[in-house]
Amino acid sequence: MNADSRYFAGLDMGSVSVKALILQNDRVAASGLTPAGGNYKAAAAKVMEEVLARAGIASDDLSGMVVTGLGAQSAPWDAPQLSDISCHARGCHALFPSARTIIDIGGQFTKAARITPQGSIADFLMSEKCATGSGRFLQVISRILHIPIEEIGPLSLQAQHPVEFSTNCAVFAESETISRIAEGARPADILAGVHRAMAAKVKMLVKRVKLEADVVLTGGGGEDAGLVQAVGQALGLTILVPENPRLTAAFGAACLAAEHKRT
Amino acid sequence: MSIMKQIEALYTQRGVRARELRQAGEKVIGYFCCFVPEEIITALGLIPFRIQGSQREPIDEADTLLEPMACPFARSCFNMALKGQYEFLDGFVAPHSCDTIERMYHIWRSNTPSPFNHLINVPHMMGPSSAEFYKNELHYFAGCLETFAGRKLDLEKLRQAVRLYNRRRALLRELYALRKAVPPRVSGTEITKVLVAGMGIPAAEHIDVVRAFIDEVQQRPAPRPDGLPRIFLWGNEIDDIAFIELVESCGAHVVMDDLCTGTRFFWEDVPETDDPFDGLVQKYLCTHCPRSLVPQAGGRADDLENRFGYIREFAAQWKADGAIFYIVRYCDTCELEGPDLKEYLTQQKLPVLMIEDDYSTTTMGQLRTRIQAFLEMIA
Repeated sequence: MNADSRYFAGLDMGSVSVKALILQNDRVAASGLTPAGGNYKAAAAKVMEEVLARAGIASDDLSGMVVTGLGAQSAPWDAPQLSDISCHARGCHALFPSARTIIDIGGQFTKAARITPQGSIADFLMSEKCATGSGRFLQVISRILHIPIEEIGPLSLQAQHPVEFSTNCAVFAESETISRIAEGARPADILAGVHRAMAAKVKMLVKRVKLEADVVLTGGGGEDAGLVQAVGQALGLTILVPENPRLTAAFGAACLAAEHKRT
Repeated sequence: MSIMKQIEALYTQRGVRARELRQAGEKVIGYFCCFVPEEIITALGLIPFRIQGSQREPIDEADTLLEPMACPFARSCFNMALKGQYEFLDGFVAPHSCDTIERMYHIWRSNTPSPFNHLINVPHMMGPSSAEFYKNELHYFAGCLETFAGRKLDLEKLRQAVRLYNRRRALLRELYALRKAVPPRVSGTEITKVLVAGMGIPAAEHIDVVRAFIDEVQQRPAPRPDGLPRIFLWGNEIDDIAFIELVESCGAHVVMDDLCTGTRFFWEDVPETDDPFDGLVQKYLCTHCPRSLVPQAGGRADDLENRFGYIREFAAQWKADGAIFYIVRYCDTCELEGPDLKEYLTQQKLPVLMIEDDYSTTTMGQLRTRIQAFLEMIA
């Protein structure tokens, strides 16, 4: 890799999608996202090729790179690996210097972290092997209701009588959702109920790491306006959301790659 | 065969040596946890064998008889028994360490009875009346075992056994002292192998193994400084290297522990008392398993210090930078003790990562993120 140029890459190999981002002098030069599918390596190669082309550079022009995410070990590059919690922390800190608590609602897990004013982790917690608080829950509901995932948020905000879910388990919630549809509940009310159930799980995680404002919600969950609102209501405060929440870890990884070169 | 090869063989092929001894006419007594005085078994000329599960085999047979929301360690052990992997045991001894193990005694005995079966009633409260009760229980256990063995317990032989096991304890402490160096001269992964290897062979043979291993470690060149964080482990059963190997592969040294497969079973000597049963009671009653309760002392701060002061000393002497709690899922005692211990250690400025796991090597990928983030946090 070329030490004189000023491009840094962050690659986040998540459970649902692989994200890449290129920083040029602390500004985002290009970013991209592709489904992880069954092949992390191929997805990573594809998305990197895309963002490099978009930035108009070759991989040799990169001065540094950090890889993160659940699939980081299968990265086809020999680059430093950091946990996505550190990368989210760094990314959120750069976007919102006032951020002290981070909630990452990803495809597989939900993570809550408290961060220092300098953007490093003070404490963190991850949801256990449970899909209720994660994006997986939304995917399941989206499939049952035949509503595309990106329409879930806006529709949820139109709810008038949110459905109460008696269970906190995504698998049982699936059958419960079907019962509610049979009873004639409106999709908007079902979705708002799902968001409330998820927010309750998230609240428990955040309270355990000790909530401190400001709170940033990142990961795919940040793109769901209904979920953001439900989490805000559960915690009793306004939630900050990055412009592209799914790219936060890739952005943080690129920032860390740049910092690493400077020190 | 190099000493590490020998340890590897004992670690991976558990039970091989016990089967050999049995073929030669010896009787093997399987037992659970660290509350059963091996000294009594040894003094009666029997071979103690600590029952372990297998994190590398799925639990299938056991779940046809048990509910899956029970301790996966106990279920795994029982699974192996159902599959005939403990057919070499002549005796089965369970202490009432926790409710799971107590119930496991009855279930095990009903399904895979051994010629000798015994439950030792271990009191939960560490106090004077408990000591008296436990001494009676140990006499009762020894009496039952005498009948099975067809010989009387010779107190002189029991004193010899106490000295034998104390010799092993001293050697293991000597081995642990080699972990104090920065960086440690021996990895947590190696230590686990040495300890687990010893659980299925007579103490006298384990002593030779540990002695040879210490000699080998002492000849190693001092490792170069690497600045990697040093981890203290707290929890219950870690009888497989997978988890410790994962922590070390993420860039850390596991340097000290409070585990029932670690310091908990060997750290304190059995005092050499006139009546050897008194010494046995003193050591085994005060085993640091969270199922045992230290009588409450003073206010909250005094109480935490009284319960966990030894952990603070362990962490300080072995220069730990962070503590990881590894709790086998559904272990109520650990899960209820964890928050208090976390509060105490956090006050001592020792960051804590609490992990609950399935007693299976297949979960390691999911744990990696947590461990990486924790190591990045304490770096």
